[in-house]
Amino acid sequence: MQELNIYKPIRAKLIKIIDESPLIKTFVLVPEVEFSFKTGQFIEVTVENVGEAPFTPSSSPLETKQLEITVMKAGYVTDAMHKMEVGQYMGIRGPYGRGYPLEAFYDKEVLIVGGGCGFAPIRSLLYNLKAISDKLRKVTLCYGSKTPGDCIYKPYITELRETPKFEVYRSVDKTDESWQEKVGVVTVLLDEIEIDVANSVTVVCGPPIMMKFATKKLLEMGYPEDKIYLSMEKNMSCGVGKCGHCAMGHYFVCKDGPVFTYDQIKNSPNIWM
Amino acid sequence: MKVYRVTEKKWTEYVAEILKEFKVFAPVKKENSTDFEEITVEKIGSIYYEGTTPSTPLKAFFFPVKENVVATEQKQARVILGVSNCDLAALDLLDNIYLGGDFMDHCYKENRDHTIIFGKDCDDLKETCHCTSYGLTPYCEKNCDISMSVSDGYCYLSPLSEKGETFLGQFKINDNEVFDCLPEKVIQKRTAMAANLQSQNINIPDEKASRKGIEKENKELWKRHASTCVSCGACSMICPTCHCFLLIDLKDFEKVKNWDACQFAGFSRVAAGEDPLMKLYDRLKFRYLCKFVYKPDMFNALACTGCGRCIDACIGKINKNEVIVEACGQG
Ligand SMILES: Cc1cc2nc3c(=O)[nH]c(=O)nc-3n(C[C@H](O)[C@H](O)[C@H](O)COP(=O)(O)OP(=O)(O)OC[C@H]3O[C@@H](n4cnc5c(N)ncnc54)[C@H](O)[C@@H]3O)c2cc1C
Ligand code: SF4
Ligand code: SF4
Ligand code: SF4
Ligand code: FES
Repeated sequence: MQELNIYKPIRAKLIKIIDESPLIKTFVLVPEVEFSFKTGQFIEVTVENVGEAPFTPSSSPLETKQLEITVMKAGYVTDAMHKMEVGQYMGIRGPYGRGYPLEAFYDKEVLIVGGGCGFAPIRSLLYNLKAISDKLRKVTLCYGSKTPGDCIYKPYITELRETPKFEVYRSVDKTDESWQEKVGVVTVLLDEIEIDVANSVTVVCGPPIMMKFATKKLLEMGYPEDKIYLSMEKNMSCGVGKCGHCAMGHYFVCKDGPVFTYDQIKNSPNIWM
Repeated sequence: MKVYRVTEKKWTEYVAEILKEFKVFAPVKKENSTDFEEITVEKIGSIYYEGTTPSTPLKAFFFPVKENVVATEQKQARVILGVSNCDLAALDLLDNIYLGGDFMDHCYKENRDHTIIFGKDCDDLKETCHCTSYGLTPYCEKNCDISMSVSDGYCYLSPLSEKGETFLGQFKINDNEVFDCLPEKVIQKRTAMAANLQSQNINIPDEKASRKGIEKENKELWKRHASTCVSCGACSMICPTCHCFLLIDLKDFEKVKNWDACQFAGFSRVAAGEDPLMKLYDRLKFRYLCKFVYKPDMFNALACTGCGRCIDACIGKINKNEVIVEACGQG
């Protein structure tokens, strides 16, 4: 049992806004009350008088003074967020749900497959994996975007490429002359990489269609169903297993997820919608 | 079990006393139905204990249609009289959802804590009542504070919780004649009522059989029944176990919890526009899966208590029991 009022957000001051792409911004927030989360958990973010939506913090869970969310402009609430300015307040509730079980990654290679705004939770995970990299064999990131202009976290990618034990592969669907890396959907990267499947786990996060094809490919590569970790996106309101919106078969994604193994959810209806 | 016997006349005097300290709600007869109303001294005589389920489900007292869940409001102590067992049984599921898990819904908790519930024996049944199909009785043995049976000019009151016991003490109702069981007459009435329900609903599958039928693909069946559904959501609104809501945001980070329903378009739509319940027949089937498969598995409680309200309320004339009978019979 947690706070007395699970619906009441705490205020968090917006101290910085980073333009990541035409549709994506990262908001740096300083909560008025101490706040921490585990990587992969999500928070409910309120824009006063407008609405609330779930986001997975994209910052390191080891950083407790401030947190970052990376938000794609996609509708009512996210539009309002994109119009906000430094100095204003958002409301946050959480952290909610079950994040990535990092202990299960020890002594293994970690393959991360992501696409689009799925990079937000992945970046938080990468920060955390770097902090425990002595316990891991290797981390391979395969990341797909629509166009080079949609590639986010550019400085972070550069930093990651220089980090021992970390490898980064990127692809875009549609290219232009600036692009030096792979062209095609993210699964083409999986043909390129060298990975010891038997000693690895894999994490997938991105739009449903990408998750569907990535999972199919990973199964073909020989990943067992319980070694594929998926971050599910469903409509949410309460975030705490009460309102029914995130129902997915026998689960409420907000409380039983949002991270599931493929094995857990493969028989649930409409997992890819 | 303790049973206090009070004459009906004396009982109305007690209600007048209770009214001095509590808000009191009870079923009152309307033109074609009964519904819960707030009782005043003048209205004590119109409380209708004999009827079937009031139109409003009990859940509305604990999970109101709209409730500001951030701005705190003082809750007033209240008593609800004449609650039937199909409404009480729904509390198993609602309590598990709202009070259980890692987070507790403080509004629901406060609303529950501030309420004394009087269960009743159903003395009458409507065509769509079918609690016994799912192993329930048309009288209450748990989930209320006091159970009340009316017979031959007497009210028989049995405390079923500590809260109920204390309440009867507070108003000295426990100074009345006390027995250690209900009179034979009341027991006979209860048994006869259960038997009537069973014979009325002989064809309705129990929850296990219903589950099997609903789990089948049967796309044609769901499409056909959904063809008259207008997505009004009435079936969920009046259902004593439906718990779904949407938080609406106000200024100062206040939030209002509003009833919501899986039968509404957009209930599960995500930002990109994708929606696992886009199609009407998927929504209709989901509601049945929710009730007979998912909720019993997730919360170990019945999610349909057989109150029959959804059948009475459906504009599209979709009869839950006919749908299930058909689903069980096919393929
Ligand atoms: C666990 C989780 C983590 C996520 N992490 C991220 C992330 O890190 N970054 C990111 O960009 N996205 C993330 N998302 C997706 C993000 O939550 C959606 O993009 C966001 O909800 C879109 O909200 P919107 O109001 O802008 O979109 P809309 O399409 O306008 O609305 C989305 C839903 O809210 C409903 N809605 C619309 N208006 C209202 C209103 N006025 N009142 C009530 N409901 C309304 C709609 O019916 C729809 O169901 C995540 C989602 C989940 C489930
Ligand atoms: S009450 Fe009937 S018409 Fe309305 S949503 Fe339910 S099934 Fe559809
Ligand atoms: S599904 Fe229908 S019959 Fe069952 S409890 Fe709900 S309203 Fe009553
Ligand atoms: S999902 Fe539908 S049937 Fe289930 S509780 Fe919510 S509104 Fe009721
Ligand atoms: S978001 Fe409310 S139950 Fe999951």
